[in-house]
Amino acid sequence: MSAENVIEVRGLVRRYGDLVALDRVDFTVRRGETFAYLGPNGAGKTTTINILAGLLHRDAGRVNVCGFDIEHEPVAVKQRIGVVPEESNLYPELTCRRNLEYLGQLYGLGRSERPKRSGELLETFDLTEKASVRFGALSRGLKRRLTIAAALVHNPELIFLDEPTAGLDVPSARALRKLIQNINRRGTTVFLTTHNLAEAEALSDRVLILIKGKVVTEGATDEIGRQATGAEILSVVFSANVPVEALRAACPAVVSADITDEKWRFEVANVHQATAQIVAWAEKSGFTILEISTEAPILEEAFMTIIKNSSAGSEVRR
Amino acid sequence: MSRIVRALFISRKDVESYYSKPPLVTWGLLFPAVLMLAMYVKNPDTYLVVAPGIIGMTLLFGNTSMAAIVITWEKRSGTLQRLILAPVTHQTIILGKAISAAAYGVATSTVLTLGLVLLLKMPMAAPLFFAAGIILGAATFALLGLIIAVRVREVFEAMTLLNFFRFPILFISGVFMPLDILPAWARPIAMISPLTHAVELLRFGISGQSWFPSPWIPVLVLAAMLTVSWLAAGAAFRRHANQ
Repeated sequence: MSAENVIEVRGLVRRYGDLVALDRVDFTVRRGETFAYLGPNGAGKTTTINILAGLLHRDAGRVNVCGFDIEHEPVAVKQRIGVVPEESNLYPELTCRRNLEYLGQLYGLGRSERPKRSGELLETFDLTEKASVRFGALSRGLKRRLTIAAALVHNPELIFLDEPTAGLDVPSARALRKLIQNINRRGTTVFLTTHNLAEAEALSDRVLILIKGKVVTEGATDEIGRQATGAEILSVVFSANVPVEALRAACPAVVSADITDEKWRFEVANVHQATAQIVAWAEKSGFTILEISTEAPILEEAFMTIIKNSSAGSEVRR
Repeated sequence: MSRIVRALFISRKDVESYYSKPPLVTWGLLFPAVLMLAMYVKNPDTYLVVAPGIIGMTLLFGNTSMAAIVITWEKRSGTLQRLILAPVTHQTIILGKAISAAAYGVATSTVLTLGLVLLLKMPMAAPLFFAAGIILGAATFALLGLIIAVRVREVFEAMTLLNFFRFPILFISGVFMPLDILPAWARPIAMISPLTHAVELLRFGISGQSWFPSPWIPVLVLAAMLTVSWLAAGAAFRRHANQ
């Protein structure tokens, strides 16, 4: 395994009876990056995390995590990874501090190191005031925070975050995303699964999309959109409301149109042709263009296109 | 850090979370104490015949139940998964869980025995064999509880499965009925019941007499059963703990 990769998966297969949950899955995660592992419900995301974290056995394939095969050296892998499952799984009857100290004991932190590390994590995650509160008495948002803090108690090389902001209100989710960015900035590789594609787009360096247990695309987050949709986005603000059907009829390079807050987002087949056609149509129709710019398709559009293509039977694997 | 130290951390956490709660302590003590007192009041001369059986029965029910409750509760709450995600082997987890459950049984039985010795003047002819019966019995029963509980998710499922073997062995293990008067067909079954050997060790500890020609026989058989239970618990954990 290359030193720059923290995860290498080759030909991973997992079956549940007749159902193939993971079908020859291949991917690598580079040290220090945030890697988003995306897919619709039932795609096999949690199954993958469970195999990588040593909770589930694989049926075939090679899985190397932090330089070790999880099947053969589970303790060595577990010592180097942190896992935050979809449902917080700390001890409800223990206080926040005792939860962290207990996990510090299990991860082999020394007697003097444990209270120090717990204190640091409580401070980093803004939980110092809750140190003596039982985990079970915390709000959902605070539980998620402590669960992530607990996964970092031993300074892991790699952290798995399974739907970290699911079910949180907007301020809690936003605060948690900031914490995830900080964790990554400090050098921890982040393996993220989420249904919130804006979150994946904001946090991740690279994305993999899994559908029905198969990898359908993998690449840099901003490349995925272009690659998947085969289109670019032209963003235009006109001086007044435009008749979009007339515009589309006059501009064949425009594939689709959508408006948000007076800004039109045109999905275009060729950005140069479309720009020329829109400018010409605006001049002819008496509309002034106040603003025009290109942008990459957002991940959500790419995701939907990939799902559509996938159900139509075409794969866009790089 | 050694496996034993990490297992002790797990045990200490379990004692703190579950076993030191007042309802459990009182349940573990009051039930056998009241039963023993009832026997004593009925006939102060013969209560010693059933004393080893009642202590053994308390160990059996207390330890299998507590180990089962803790495991099913932790499976449901996800905290068993949290433990499995930590860099500890399944053997370390089993050891930690078994130590805390067995410690609960040893502690409640010791308090009960002290009460019987001090208040009812119960004799103690061979205290080391008595202690061996308590410790080996508590550990074996705790592991049996773990083996059953790790296969299911609900406490009632664990209790139902446990009762399939707990109640029948009560009648063939010398708890209420001496082994001498058991029908011949039941004796081989009695020999494979860990409760038989625990009760006979306790009996020898109290009175210096046992159904077996030597007290070392139940010591060795219980030790063998403990080893088998340990291996079976490891296999059950490997197969079912993550489900």
